[in-house]
Amino acid sequence: MARMKFLCDAERCIECNGCVTACKQEHEIPWGVNRRRVVTLNDGVPGEKSISVACMHCSDAPCMAVCPVDCFYKTSEGVVLHDKDLCIGCGYCFYACPFGAPQFPQDGAFGLRGKMDKCTFCAGGPEPDFSAAEFKKYGRNRLAEGKLPACAEMCATKALLGGDSDVIADIYRNRVLKRGKGSEVWGWGTAYGKPEKQPAAQPGAKS
Amino acid sequence: MPALSNMRVSFRLLFVSCVMLFAPLPLAAQGVAQEHAKEQVQRQQTQPLNNAPVWRDVRGGQHPYQTSQVRGIETTVLVQSEGEIWRQIRNGPITIYGGWLLVLVVAALGIFYGWRGKIMLGHPRSGRLIERFGPWDRIVHWSTAISFVILAVTGLTTLFGKYVLLPMFGYTLFSWMATLSKTLHNFVGPLFALCTVVMFFTFVKDNIWQRGDWQWLTKFGGLFTGKHVPSWRFNIAEKSWFWFGVTFLGIIVSVTGFVLDFPNFAQGRETMQMANVIHAISAVLFIAAALGHIYLGTIGMEDAYESMRNGVVDETWAKEHHEYWYNEVKGQGKAAGGAAAPAHASAMKEGWKL
Repeated sequence: MARMKFLCDAERCIECNGCVTACKQEHEIPWGVNRRRVVTLNDGVPGEKSISVACMHCSDAPCMAVCPVDCFYKTSEGVVLHDKDLCIGCGYCFYACPFGAPQFPQDGAFGLRGKMDKCTFCAGGPEPDFSAAEFKKYGRNRLAEGKLPACAEMCATKALLGGDSDVIADIYRNRVLKRGKGSEVWGWGTAYGKPEKQPAAQPGAKS
Repeated sequence: MPALSNMRVSFRLLFVSCVMLFAPLPLAAQGVAQEHAKEQVQRQQTQPLNNAPVWRDVRGGQHPYQTSQVRGIETTVLVQSEGEIWRQIRNGPITIYGGWLLVLVVAALGIFYGWRGKIMLGHPRSGRLIERFGPWDRIVHWSTAISFVILAVTGLTTLFGKYVLLPMFGYTLFSWMATLSKTLHNFVGPLFALCTVVMFFTFVKDNIWQRGDWQWLTKFGGLFTGKHVPSWRFNIAEKSWFWFGVTFLGIIVSVTGFVLDFPNFAQGRETMQMANVIHAISAVLFIAAALGHIYLGTIGMEDAYESMRNGVVDETWAKEHHEYWYNEVKGQGKAAGGAAAPAHASAMKEGWKL
């Protein structure tokens, strides 16, 4: 069984924000919500590096651990998804997430944040595949269509890789060997450094 | 003409001095960032393949050279490590020790009740009533108490519901309960903060240290011996509850609660994590202390609940539990029910019908 992961090659990312746009377009995400963002380190300084970041679908996901209603679940492919029908919008996942992935549609006076929204690895949600309800809440389910995440597919320099962990790690290893630099796999220690938590046994959850 | 050129010169001087004056300010703020950037430039020349300074910045947080097109709270922070610490503290000690503390307190109160039973009056009722809590006292007390209970129940649902209620009610029903809890908690919270302030000013004058408090404390009010120890209007246990519970913990949970309740002021995640930890610890202690207060105010002691419900107590009760206060009230002839006939007293016991 494939283990889905994201990998951003900082040697290749040119900060075009194509992934951010692709994501917003693919899932028709409302204003103010950004499931993916590009951060530039040392902007304007020789040797600046850009990294595209979204939910990394961690092995031992902090969001999952702190959710008071246990609305998160993990698919058999390691994708961390959540059920918006159960989400109470408390913001705890936002406190816990190392990558700033959880987003909220409202600014939250009196804690009214609305339902949390985050990257789904283009894998939809608990509703039936391709249903209107699934699209409205979580966006397109590209994995069920046999495709990979839109952000990674769209990436012009192929800096952002999304897919089976073994495959993308092999691609990256070849690149590092050929160019002889940039071997740092950004965020993988944080996201995948801990033992994999078993997929939550939630009634009705798709695998 | 020389005057004009002089003016030009002086303007230029003014401009230069202005620049000199304000230039160091942003420079100081950006000093660290610039050092990082310089280090990066140098590294590019000396060791072109080593990007260590960049990778250090991944966790470094925000500085002027770290940018993102996405606007929002801390969007330029790539990895915030504090979230994991918060998770460990909240899911660890707070949930485990906090939960067991509350279970232990309830068990201890149950054991105490089984051993000591309800503390009854030692002498027959006199039938004469004394006013202990005026209408304002009671309004303030019950506003605070009701909002406290709502906050405690909804707060406990948020912290422990996942482990206790979720297995009982299932995902859908528990999600509704949690939604209701969160909304009630967030709207009743500010009301409780207001009540706490009013409560402080209402009861502070009778909660100051008085002669005789030490004696009461050393004998623990005869709680275990059954021998009554004289006290003023409030004994030292009630005073401790007032200062440590209502005032100290009340202020802490209120302030940290506001930080968490209004994320629209764009406070960062670290601020809210710390606020949450302090809020949860003090709230658990607050609830533990309140359980003791509620116990003695209801099933633990005869007529204690009635005193806050109806505002009046029998003279026998006053004499047995708060003798100094009783003497004070009698001495001043301030007793509301002092002249009350026994017939009137039975009517007062009806409370709301009065």
